[in-house]
Amino acid sequence: MDSSGNGLNALQRELATAPVAPTVLIVEDDPALRTLLMRLLREEGFQPLSAAHGGEMARVLETNTVDIILLDVMMPGSNGFQLCRSLRKESDVPIVMLSARDDESDRLIGLELGADDYIGKPFSKKELIARIRAILRRTQGGAQASQPRGAQQMVFAGWQLDPGRRELLSPDGAFVDLSGAEFDLLLAFLSSPQRVIGRERLLEMSRARISDASDRSIDVLVSRLRRKLAVSGQAESLLRTVRGIGYIFTAQVERR
Amino acid sequence: MKPLRLWPQRLVGQVTLVLMLAVALEFIGSSILFENSRIYPNRNNQVQRAAEQLVTAEAILETRPEHERIARAAGLSSRSSQLEWTPLPHLVDRERSAERKLRDQFRAAEPSLARRELRMNAEIDRTLPRDTHLKVALKMRDGTWLTMKTKIRAAPWAVLLSSVGSAFILGLGVITAAALVLRNLSRPLRALAEAADKVGQGARVRVAETGAGDLKMVAQAFNAMQDRIAGLLQTRTEALAAVGHDLRTPLARLRLRAGFVSETSAREALEADVDEMTGMLDSLLAYLGGQEDPEPPRRTDIAAIAMTLVDDATDSERIATYDGPEHLPVRARPLSLKRAISNIVENALHYGGEAALTLSREGRMVVLAVEDKGPGIPEAQLAHVLEPFHRLDSARARNTGGLGLGLTIVQQILKREDGELILRNRPQGGLRAEIRLPAL
Repeated sequence: MDSSGNGLNALQRELATAPVAPTVLIVEDDPALRTLLMRLLREEGFQPLSAAHGGEMARVLETNTVDIILLDVMMPGSNGFQLCRSLRKESDVPIVMLSARDDESDRLIGLELGADDYIGKPFSKKELIARIRAILRRTQGGAQASQPRGAQQMVFAGWQLDPGRRELLSPDGAFVDLSGAEFDLLLAFLSSPQRVIGRERLLEMSRARISDASDRSIDVLVSRLRRKLAVSGQAESLLRTVRGIGYIFTAQVERR
Repeated sequence: MKPLRLWPQRLVGQVTLVLMLAVALEFIGSSILFENSRIYPNRNNQVQRAAEQLVTAEAILETRPEHERIARAAGLSSRSSQLEWTPLPHLVDRERSAERKLRDQFRAAEPSLARRELRMNAEIDRTLPRDTHLKVALKMRDGTWLTMKTKIRAAPWAVLLSSVGSAFILGLGVITAAALVLRNLSRPLRALAEAADKVGQGARVRVAETGAGDLKMVAQAFNAMQDRIAGLLQTRTEALAAVGHDLRTPLARLRLRAGFVSETSAREALEADVDEMTGMLDSLLAYLGGQEDPEPPRRTDIAAIAMTLVDDATDSERIATYDGPEHLPVRARPLSLKRAISNIVENALHYGGEAALTLSREGRMVVLAVEDKGPGIPEAQLAHVLEPFHRLDSARARNTGGLGLGLTIVQQILKREDGELILRNRPQGGLRAEIRLPAL
């Protein structure tokens, strides 16, 4: 504890001198993992801070501005879910839950409590960094950051999308499975409906999920999404190709 | 059905009581029959009596003058046999075997008839019990005729019934008793057998504690045993699951540390190892946690899941195809259903090199078939591959990874959705795995 406390002070000083790098707060009770994460994030150009439990987290937050919090779920004392809920009451800071329980009900609880993402242990360095960057891009990118989180449902042509639970329901109420990239792409379309979106922009918006980003992979992704959104009797696809430019999402989107 | 106070509580008591009742029934039944057989004496006795009556009547009539004989003969008649005197014979002898036999019997019974003319006329009733209507005419010493009409009852009927009948009643009584006892005995036993069968498959079954006292004790003991086993399993499962979860943190450290290894091949090997261990943990936890999945069943598009998995496989440059409708809803827990389909597809890709998915409706079932072109599964092994921790010998090479839980988990998941997993070797080679779920 003591050594990490000293490290924390050193980091705070460091933070004052390098304000450009995003600050990441790691809340994790396992000391070794905490150290590893600190080292990894520092190498990737982040400003890492750490806390071993909820109390320490509160103290760090009092004295620092944090861009994103990595929150372990299973901790002695108040667990990550409780911390996440109390954090959400006063702040919109992006939260990524880290959990040893990679089961889906935990993931849903986390997302419903207002976490922005959920990563099951063990995660790779690449995966973690990609997720953190994606969230930072989303929340610092302006327009989308101001969107209220969680409860808002998006409804289009009878379909219903729940961004918090990352769920898509068909017009007849069936759960329709989407891959992570498909979901992000659909979310990108829904955020600017009835407007032409270029391939580059789409790529940018859903890059976190696509490993080899290219125009071609966007086309493949769109055709897959089209197939999943196909409804017999619906003459025109919801995703229309605009030749040479990109795509347009044709339906109206209603937020509830 | 509330048993009487007199009904014994123990199995031995019940059997004894029922057998006693059977013996009593047999006793009463056969004594009634023997009573009857005394009323109907056997055939020989009847012939003897008729012969005696005939000879006596002749002796009486001989001493009377002819004008008194008609009245006298009528007076000698009894309820069972009528006597008539006539000067001339009105009976023609029929020489059939029945008559010859009866005449011999008459003569044997009354030797005085031996040299007398005896005309016989026997009519056997067509209907049961086949009594014989007998007319006998005796030529008296003065040339007039004495005719006797009588009925010989078919004695074999009574004799037969009195012996066979009593055996029959005894049999009936014992069978009834046995049926009663067995019904009482087998109902709880059958329930117990069914319960024991289900317990093996992981379900918790309470056996109704009914029936005879000692069977009730068996049921109670069985229930208690089940509780103990369930408790034991629960503790073990929780311990194993806890270890599984706790292993994830060191694994997370390992994976992150792997990121710092500068040598690419070593790093990739390390990461592959961590992936393999993670996969094992995932399948173990899915298997252990399968019983109490908090996910509620809901309307789920199975076609979308199949498409996602096929696309994932294609993205990692493996051969997978999907043929079927764009949407087909079933009622299931979407995440566990996806895990089930994913396990099957992974198996097909791993052992069969490629996975061809076809989705269709067959009557009231939705069938998702996954076909590969691998070696299939030896017929003898087909039933065993669903058992937990079972691996085919040929698959035991270290590169397969996994714990041998994949198909077990699939079956576990499908069973919960009232579906089933059917594995079949394709005639043209390769395995066909069918996921069958009730259609909506």
